[in-house]
Formats: sequence, structure tokens, C-alpha cells
Amino acid sequence: MRARPAAGPSNVEILVLGVAGLAVFFGLWAALSGFGLVPPRFLPSPAAVAQRMFFLLDHPFASATLPLHVLSSLGRYALGFLLAAAIGVPLGLFMGWYGLLDDIVSPVFNALRFIAPIAWVPFAALWFGTGIGGPIMVIFTGAFPPCLINAYRGARFVDVKFLEAAQTLGASNLRIILEVLLPASIPSIVSGLRVGAGLGWQSLVGAELIVAASGVGYMMVQGQSAVSTPTVLSGMIAIGMVGYCVDLVLREVEALTRRRRGVV
Amino acid sequence: MSTITFEDVGRSFDSVAALKNVNLHVRDKEFVVIVGPSGCGKTTCLRMAAGLDFPSSGVVRVGNREVVAPGPDRAVVFQQFALFPWKSVYDNVDFGLRNKGVPTAERADRIAAVLKVMSLEGYERSFPHQLSGGMQQRVAIARAYVLDPAVLLMDEPFGALDAQTRVLMQEELVRLARVNPRTVLFITHGVEEAVYLADRVAVMTSRPGCIKEIIDVRSIREAERWNSLPRIEDVMDLESFVHLRTTIWKSLREEKTEEQH
Amino acid sequence: MRRGRRRILVGCCTALAILALWTIATVFTSLISAGRFPSPPQVWGAARQIATDGYADGTLLQHALRSLRLVIMGFLFAVAIGAPLGILMGASRRFEAFITPVFSIIRPIPPLAWIPLAILWLGLGDAAKIMVIFFAAFVPSVINSHSGVRAIEAHLLEASQVLGARGFTHVREVLVPGAMPMIFTGLRLSLQASWTTLVAAELVGALAGLGRVLNVAQQDIYPAMILVAMAAVAVLGWGTTRLLDMIESRAMRWLPVKP
Repeated sequence: MRARPAAGPSNVEILVLGVAGLAVFFGLWAALSGFGLVPPRFLPSPAAVAQRMFFLLDHPFASATLPLHVLSSLGRYALGFLLAAAIGVPLGLFMGWYGLLDDIVSPVFNALRFIAPIAWVPFAALWFGTGIGGPIMVIFTGAFPPCLINAYRGARFVDVKFLEAAQTLGASNLRIILEVLLPASIPSIVSGLRVGAGLGWQSLVGAELIVAASGVGYMMVQGQSAVSTPTVLSGMIAIGMVGYCVDLVLREVEALTRRRRGVV
Repeated sequence: MSTITFEDVGRSFDSVAALKNVNLHVRDKEFVVIVGPSGCGKTTCLRMAAGLDFPSSGVVRVGNREVVAPGPDRAVVFQQFALFPWKSVYDNVDFGLRNKGVPTAERADRIAAVLKVMSLEGYERSFPHQLSGGMQQRVAIARAYVLDPAVLLMDEPFGALDAQTRVLMQEELVRLARVNPRTVLFITHGVEEAVYLADRVAVMTSRPGCIKEIIDVRSIREAERWNSLPRIEDVMDLESFVHLRTTIWKSLREEKTEEQH
Repeated sequence: MRRGRRRILVGCCTALAILALWTIATVFTSLISAGRFPSPPQVWGAARQIATDGYADGTLLQHALRSLRLVIMGFLFAVAIGAPLGILMGASRRFEAFITPVFSIIRPIPPLAWIPLAILWLGLGDAAKIMVIFFAAFVPSVINSHSGVRAIEAHLLEASQVLGARGFTHVREVLVPGAMPMIFTGLRLSLQASWTTLVAAELVGALAGLGRVLNVAQQDIYPAMILVAMAAVAVLGWGTTRLLDMIESRAMRWLPVKP
């Protein structure tokens, strides 16, 4: 193979540059904290953070260990997200088919949509106190719109040819929805679920900062009150990792559905 | 002197050979057309002359220098026009001139002249999406022409146009080439287009592509005085034209049946 | 258009129906207690109160302006850094390789998770809020600008090369306009994230702003005021988004289809 002038970077180069980027990041961090340029209260060293994280793995802080907090958060998250999907997706599909339903729900939905999920927290606090209902409600508010919208769009923009074929073959409305709209909308729905999962996770964090008695967000707030920056950073890392894993799973599901359909 | 030379050029993609032992020399101010079956690698040849792709073996030279990068001296007319949708017709044509550092007053003159030649007067402020396919391709050609390039590389430029527009553009291109000749490498899979436009036609084999034969059209064209007939239909009626066309057609046919085996 | 007219009609009927149900449930019966959800007259009263006398140390206008100011500052700051960064990442694979791993670490952290850290670093004042908004708005801008550049059709990039465009010209006249549609998508997402984060940050702790109103109203068990503050947030969010849409329309007049 002849050498090509000015082509893109090789795989080795990409790896090296990536490592360099990470090195600069962590190096800067370690230097700032190690040389006392920034007080440890602000920026604990990477080692201190790692140490704290390991410590929290089996020593409770704010009434539970880190894994327990994470589980607590995940539990609420799962409930809230599943509720949003279970209501949003079917509702979206039906709205895509029944124009009247669409006309009724859409204005209400569009009016409420602009309210950031976090703004529901005061009501959640008022209605549920620090019980599990509060975070679930907030998660629901965050995850619901993408689930609904994407299911709706998937159903509305199904190729007319499929609908006409189904109708000429004598399919009932319900059958059309279940056997034509639903399968045709799957890519859009899965995409919506993925976005909803992300938004739901973010809303959870917000809710836990304010109205929870357990969970990672709660742990972070307590860490902040106790001026324990390593705890706060540990919480952030844990949240990031869980969020990333959830997204990874859904990304694979999305790719899988695309592959099975032979669509790029 | 702007010649294009392919010396023993080969190109492989992931160990699949697309081109093998391509040898072709385009003389200064000559109009050469490469015809071949789809996927034979003729576009790859053009891209290598443009500097948008590089040979795996062999050398591509323009003038006497090896091609290492794209540039305005080898202007390209793409099949999909490649006009910048966010720039007006004027700005699209202006773009290359500005990059060359041509002073403002001169730019305005040159753009006006080339727009006139391409019958685009009055459309300076229009955006590409407001123009028909034929007009867009005229803008693309104008954008290349205005640079006064030594070499013009055209990749199936009329492929995306409807039949009537294509014919008009072919006539126009021939007119331009007579008035302002320059070295042109033109890619097409239309045999009639090739015979009508070319000085010489290079027939390419199917993958891995190489130049199968080169047919001289110019001598026949000049001997039979095709230029005296302004309309393409009249030229295509001539026996000399039909003969050339059939020769090339047969050559390509062999390649097609080769492919299917 | 019969469908369009029917839609408006149904919409109005639904709105009236909801209003009616709401009033009945709260004013005329006790289906929903006052401590849980306010009645329309209560909301009206709260709105008047905050608009004229003020609540939580400020009138509605003061709180709203304060929140708006912070959102705009954080948003502009994030976009001014994020969009160019994304564009550069799209333009240079080397730069992309360098930045991506670090960015992948920052990206999964939900914006709201920065709040406790921001409070530790900068206290409860404006600076902390802007910091959190920055991290929230930064990520969508980078991602979308990056995608936008990568989405530019290859033959446009090649045309630019053939026409001899040097680095900066190429970025300014080809990459940026080409990526504009997705850059604006990123801006919209950034704006949304900015509002969400600001409200959350102000809820956690603030001296003024609509989030503070929400917070105080919740502690006072004053649901009517909560609703007023929520409505105010929604209106401001909607208004700023419309402004962005208008800017987008003007910036992309060359598009054949409305974005």
C-alpha cells in the first residue's frame, strides 16, 4: 500500500491522542490538587476521590452504602420510566390513529410540555412528602414526553401504503394499530424510549436532590452539607456510570431493531 | 502543458482490486471520455486525477507533477452538482476565485462573463434550490470554468438530468470546448454522449478496471465535418457516428457478459 | 381545512372542560383539598399577589428577570464554547480523538448532578447557577455541532477542497453553514437544559428567582403560588424558544423547507 499524503489519522494515532487527552485531564486535576494550588475542599485529588468511593462501597453514609443508594435510585427510576413507557407508548399510538383523541390530548400535552419536570418537584413534595411517589412522579414527567411523541410520530408517519393495504384486507382498527402501526413504529418508539430513559434519569437526580431520604442524589446533597467533596464527586461518578450503562443497553436494543429490519 | 497521465495505476479497497494496470495519457487540450460498465472504476480514476483519492500502485500525474492534493487547477464538476446550498449562484461561482486570491474587480468581471456564457444572467442572487437541475449543473460548470483551470474533470455531470436537458447541455459543452479548449477528462456510461463529445474515447473493462481500447473520434469527426451540423440529432444520424457508436457498444457488451459470468 | 378547524374547536372545548372540572372539583366540592391543589380563584389571587406586592422578597417581574438573566448568561457562555468545540471536533479527526475520551466522562453526568458541587465551590449565588447551567447547556451544543459537521455531504466537502479553500475559510464558509440545522437543534436542546437546570438549582438553594419562589411556596404550603411560578417558568421557556426559532429562520433563509 502506497503511503497516502494527508489522509485521516490511523487507529494508533487515534488511540494515542485519546490517551493524551485523558492524561492531560487527569494530570491537570492531580497537579491542581497535589501542589496545593486549589484547596482540597474544592478539588480533592483523584486518589482521594477513588479512596472515598471505595470506602462508600461498604461503609454507610447518609444511612446507606453507595450500592444501596444506587439501588434505591434505580428502583424508583425503573418504576417511573416503566410507567411513562406503559402509558406514553400506547397513548401515542392511539393518538396517531384516532384524530379526535389527538385533538383532545395534544393541546393539553403541548401546554404542559414546556414545564420542566423539575418544576413538578414542589407539588411532588406537597403530595408525597419524601415518599417514593415524589421521585416517581418527577421521573414520569421527564420520561413521558419522548415516549409519547415518538410513538405518536411513528404511528402518524407510517407509510400510507401499509395502512391502505391493511384496510383493503379488512383489518379492524385495533388490528391495524397492533399489527401495522406498532411494528412500523418500533424504530421511532425505541428511539423515544432511549431519550426518555435519559431524561428520566436526569429528572430522578433532580428530584432526589430535593425530595428524597435515600438515593444517590440524596447522598450527594448530604455530602454537600457535610462539606465532603469526595462524597459529592463519588456520587457524580456513580450517577454517570449508571446512566451510561442504561444508555448503552438501550443503544444496543436500538441497533438490534435496526439490524433486524435491514434499515440503515 | 496540462496533460494527465496514468502510469500503471492500480487501486485496491480492502484487498479487492478496483483498478489494475491503468495506462492512459491525455494530451494537452484534449477531450478524453472514459466509458465503461457501472462500477468499473472510472470515477475512481477521475478522483485520483483530482487528488481526492490516491493510487495503491502506480502514479497519476498532471502536467509532469504527481497529484498529491485537490486544487483549483484541476476543477471538478460533480454528478450531484455539489453546489453549496447556503450560497447564492454568484457566491458559489465566486468561492474558488476568492480562494485563489483574485482581486475583487477582476472577480466581478470574470463571474459576469462566465454567467453570460452559461446563460445564467439574472440568477446571481438565486439559491440552488430555486433552480432546475439543468441550471444547477450550469452553475457547477460555471464555478469550474471561471477558475480558468488547466484541467477540467467531469464526473457524469449530466447523469442527474432529464434527457432533453442533457442533450442541450451536451451541445453547449461542445460549443464551449471549441471556443475555449482545455484538457478535459469526462466520465460517462452513455456511449452516444461519449462519441459526441470526445476527441478520443477510452473503453474501460469491468472490475478490476483497465483501459481496454482507445478509439480516436477526432479524426473521423473532422473528416466527416460534424461541426457543420449544429444539432446533435443530425450528427447522430451520420453513418460515421453510428459506426463509432456501435463499435464502442460492442466493446462494452463484451464487458457486460464478462461480468455476468 | 376541516381538520384544522376541528382541532381548534376541540382544543377550546377541552380547555373549557378542564377549567370547569377544575373549578367544580376545588371550589364547589371538596374533591381536591386546598392543601393539595389550588382552585382557579386561588391561583388568580396568588398571581395578583406576586405581581403587585411580591412574594419571597420580590415581585414576579423581578424574579422572572433574575432567572431569565441567569439562563441567558449561562446559555450564551455554554454555546460560545460548546458549538465551536463541536465544530472543531467535526472538522478534525485528530482533535476529535483527543477530546472524545474526556468528553465521554463528562457527558453521562446529568446536569443537575453538578448542583451540589457548584454549591460547594461557589455558594448559593449567581456564579454557582451559571456554572451549573454551563455544564447542562454545554453538552448538547457540542454533540449536535459535531454531528452537524459530520452530516455534511461528502461531495460538498470535496468541492470545497477542489476549489482551494484553506482551513479557516473552509470552516467559516462550508462547515458552519452546512452544520447550521443541527447546530440550531443543539441550541434548542441547550436552551431547554438551561431552564431545567436553573429552576432546579434555584429550588435547591437561591436568594431570588422563580425557583426560589417555587421553593418558598412549597415550604409555605401555598400550592396556588407554586402553580403561578410553574406557569411563569413555562411562559419564559416558551418565549425564549420562540425567539431562538425566529433567529433560526432568519439565519437559514436558504433552506427550501421550513426547519
